[in-house]
Amino acid sequence: MVNDRQSTEPVSLASLFFAFLKVALFGAGSGIVWAHRVAVEQRSWLSEEEFADILSLCQFMPGPNVVGIAVCVGAHLRGAFGALAATAGFVLIPGTIGFSLGIFCLQYAHFVLLQHILAGMSAAAAGLLIAAGSRMLTPHRKRWLAWITATLAFTGVVFTKLPLLLVLFGAALPGIGGTASGRPRPQ
Amino acid sequence: MTDGSAPIALTAHLAWLSSISFGGIPTVLPYVRNFVVVTHGWMTDQDFANCFALAQSLPGPNMILMMSFIGWKVWGIPGAIASALATFGPPCVLYFAAWRLWHRFRAAPWQRVVRGGLVPVTVGLVIAGGTVMAHAADADWRAAAVTVGAVVLMLRRWLNPSWILLAGGVLGGLGLL
Repeated sequence: MVNDRQSTEPVSLASLFFAFLKVALFGAGSGIVWAHRVAVEQRSWLSEEEFADILSLCQFMPGPNVVGIAVCVGAHLRGAFGALAATAGFVLIPGTIGFSLGIFCLQYAHFVLLQHILAGMSAAAAGLLIAAGSRMLTPHRKRWLAWITATLAFTGVVFTKLPLLLVLFGAALPGIGGTASGRPRPQ
Repeated sequence: MTDGSAPIALTAHLAWLSSISFGGIPTVLPYVRNFVVVTHGWMTDQDFANCFALAQSLPGPNMILMMSFIGWKVWGIPGAIASALATFGPPCVLYFAAWRLWHRFRAAPWQRVVRGGLVPVTVGLVIAGGTVMAHAADADWRAAAVTVGAVVLMLRRWLNPSWILLAGGVLGGLGLL
């Protein structure tokens, strides 16, 4: 597999595994930032453009976005085995640690103090999610069509009982149709 | 807790939802909640909100963790593993296939069009996910105020998200919510 990395040594599967292990362990809540730091800044596996390319692919594909980054970076460097190594590094050990800690907390969730702490954290966590979604709109905020499709999708989920696939298509079709008929934006 | 068909139904449903979660797992949270809280009554809204809060505050792949907590509630450890696999397995295959196609079509104009149309949809879905989670988590106006405060702090980038979560936990722990 030929790519335009500076180094000629092939990246080992083990270093892919450990790189994404690091991303998962340090990147609580901001995995994308850490994936960038490790893959672009620290190891120079990818150029900025290659990373941006991967990121934009992963942000609209279905599934957990950071896992997508692991799959794509792994695939880019070492093909299918690279994708497996990076995904395993991201999921196996951090997943086991997080799961054990979480189950420990959930087992004591009936204790009043923990209940109150969890209630406060879930209220805050819901806010973080709303903010993260709003931020994704920033690059599109000058397109009124983007506001309409976002509102359609939001309304479809919150105020109707329509199945997700219907909401997706109902909001995406006018969005895609409108973008196709509009003039191309300078990037 | 539940009969034997529950874990299979949950795993199949999660696998389906993760395969159409354009923009990330948070976009399908309202549908997961609907399935486990409303349709099947496997857990309460508060349980669901707890799983979410814990997953967000622990290190590791948050949304995979959240689904594994839900799986654990329904069917113990096997349920947790099945749910985690259902959450990232199908998307991984899709990511890999998409990555191989990506270079072939990266210059194609339809790709810019599809992205321009699809990204705002995922924005609406993510915000809807947050709203539904807020609805599940916010018992009264004080909890709702914490949610609004978290939105503002996060949008202004004044604080790292971990501090916002911690602040929510402290406020709750002090019995202020």
